[in-house]
Amino acid sequence: MRVFTIIIGFVLLLSCSKEMPEDPFVFENPLLDLSIPTGFPEFNPAVYGNRPTTYGVELGQRLFHEPRLSGNNTVSCASCHNSGHAFADNKAQAVGVEGRIGLRNTPPIQNMAFMKFYNWDGHMLQLEKQVLVPIITHEEMNSSILEVIGKLSADTAYRHLFKKAFGDELITAERIFKSIAQYEYTLISANSKYDSVMRMEGAAFTEEEERGHHIFKEKCASCHSTALFTDQSFRNVGFPLNPSTQEAGRARVTGAAADYMKFRVPSLRNIAYTAPYGSFGQFIDLRALLDYFDKGVLPADNLDPILKSNGNRIPLSEQEKTDIIAFLGTLSDPAFIHQ
Amino acid sequence: MKKSKNYSVLGLSLLLLISCSKSDEPVANSMTLHFNNTFKDNTIILGSAASAEASVNTSASGQRHHFSELRYVISNIRLVKVDGSEMPYHIADLDKGAAVIDQSKPATLDFELTNIPSGTYKQIKFGLGVQSALNTLDQVRFPTFYAIAGANDTKMMWEWGTGYRFTKIEGFYGTDNQTLSIHTGSTVEGTESDPSSYVQGVDAYRDIVLDLSTHAIVGQNAPRITIKADFDNLLSGKTNTISLGDGNATPNVHTARNMTLYVDNLGGDGTTDLTGMFSISAVAN
Repeated sequence: MRVFTIIIGFVLLLSCSKEMPEDPFVFENPLLDLSIPTGFPEFNPAVYGNRPTTYGVELGQRLFHEPRLSGNNTVSCASCHNSGHAFADNKAQAVGVEGRIGLRNTPPIQNMAFMKFYNWDGHMLQLEKQVLVPIITHEEMNSSILEVIGKLSADTAYRHLFKKAFGDELITAERIFKSIAQYEYTLISANSKYDSVMRMEGAAFTEEEERGHHIFKEKCASCHSTALFTDQSFRNVGFPLNPSTQEAGRARVTGAAADYMKFRVPSLRNIAYTAPYGSFGQFIDLRALLDYFDKGVLPADNLDPILKSNGNRIPLSEQEKTDIIAFLGTLSDPAFIHQ
Repeated sequence: MKKSKNYSVLGLSLLLLISCSKSDEPVANSMTLHFNNTFKDNTIILGSAASAEASVNTSASGQRHHFSELRYVISNIRLVKVDGSEMPYHIADLDKGAAVIDQSKPATLDFELTNIPSGTYKQIKFGLGVQSALNTLDQVRFPTFYAIAGANDTKMMWEWGTGYRFTKIEGFYGTDNQTLSIHTGSTVEGTESDPSSYVQGVDAYRDIVLDLSTHAIVGQNAPRITIKADFDNLLSGKTNTISLGDGNATPNVHTARNMTLYVDNLGGDGTTDLTGMFSISAVAN
């Protein structure tokens, strides 16, 4: 009984020290003003449940660049999502820890707040839920959320950042997911030359870009529509198939044969920075991609109806291809890339 | 300080007393579920492509096949008493209430349910797979199950979909031992009526309902219920007869394109067939 008493004494002592007054801390973390650029769609509803805050974003940005999110502390989100490539990379397929090759091409992270679907197959509808996937995937970061929480909790700087962002030092899975998503919500690209022309801010298309814009509206904009340059639909456009047996496109999610090898129509903003193109980097540059559409795509039962009705191709002259590529260059947003 | 010390000592003594009184209750409030994985009536022996020992089965369409790996997840266990009352067994806790049944690990074939109320039970219900609400790879809530399912020699996770694999079958078919690799799992999340939570996809979870012709009596003894899982149903099920080929034998079933055919055969179609490949072969009280 004596021993018990001593132990209890210790417990009481610990409890007491906990209640000692700490440095006065006032939880102040202003919401960031996230506005919808002209012509952009509404926010994904999840944004309203996780509005970016000053310190939430600061923490999220730090975590985004944190290699300790990976099992062997070598790979961060930014390793594949490189700001210089519109938060994608220039590899055909993503490369994770120990050089492991992923299934697909790294998607750019831009204008995520306006997207209804994430990933090439649209499996995720909320950005917060996506954060866990690369952390635990063998070919990406190969870690686990408890491993990550353990590493971050041992770091005073992080405990401080979590306190600033969420009011106390507790490092939880939800807070990690929320802060990284908050940072990604702020990655908005809406200041390209195209935007400047459309908003009549003084910039003007060159003749080549103007012709390209015209052809684009005629031959590309039925899928690459809206200010995001994607209608956010899923289509099979007959691109060469990924030989991996893991791949099925959208059918992996829905189980519908009609969705086999359909992928989300990509946004074309900052497209000049994100080569190679296609769900696993089938096309080395835009010219190769346009050549492929012009020459005629591979057949498929569920080939997009617009392509089917055009004889499985988008006929383009060499000059038209040059003009379209020039127009697509106006979707580059150098300030976004060099942030 | 002194006073609080005294109270603590009192509290401790009380705790000790309570612990003591607990152990006075009846001794056998447990039950074991034994899973016997078979082709028809014969327990499956796993084997590599060239294995001479592996159990070979022949499907309704005449395809010979055998397995090298065989795993599935059970969860959401409920025991029904003769009066119809239902005893849920840690249905919201995958660490305590779910298991990966792995034919290569004999210990996993017996799942012990503990601290079950005494009584006579006439029916058992369980799920093949994990219900959508718990199927999130939440390591924080369920670290034990997460570790078991994610182990390198188990691989019962779909990381891309933040969900568990419900069934993982690897093996060989046909005269030239082509690869078969059949994985099932859910991709659906949330509820359809709530667009902010709903992720469109396939629900591969199946509820299984099995009557105990011999009732299981918990209290005096610890009953052992042998549940047969007859994998002959994989290709020759009550719902679908499947012929393996290029489009459905290897992982494109991940794709869920053909997955539901297998799911319905193994776990029933969820409406008219609530047993699938499962049946009760013995209840030993």
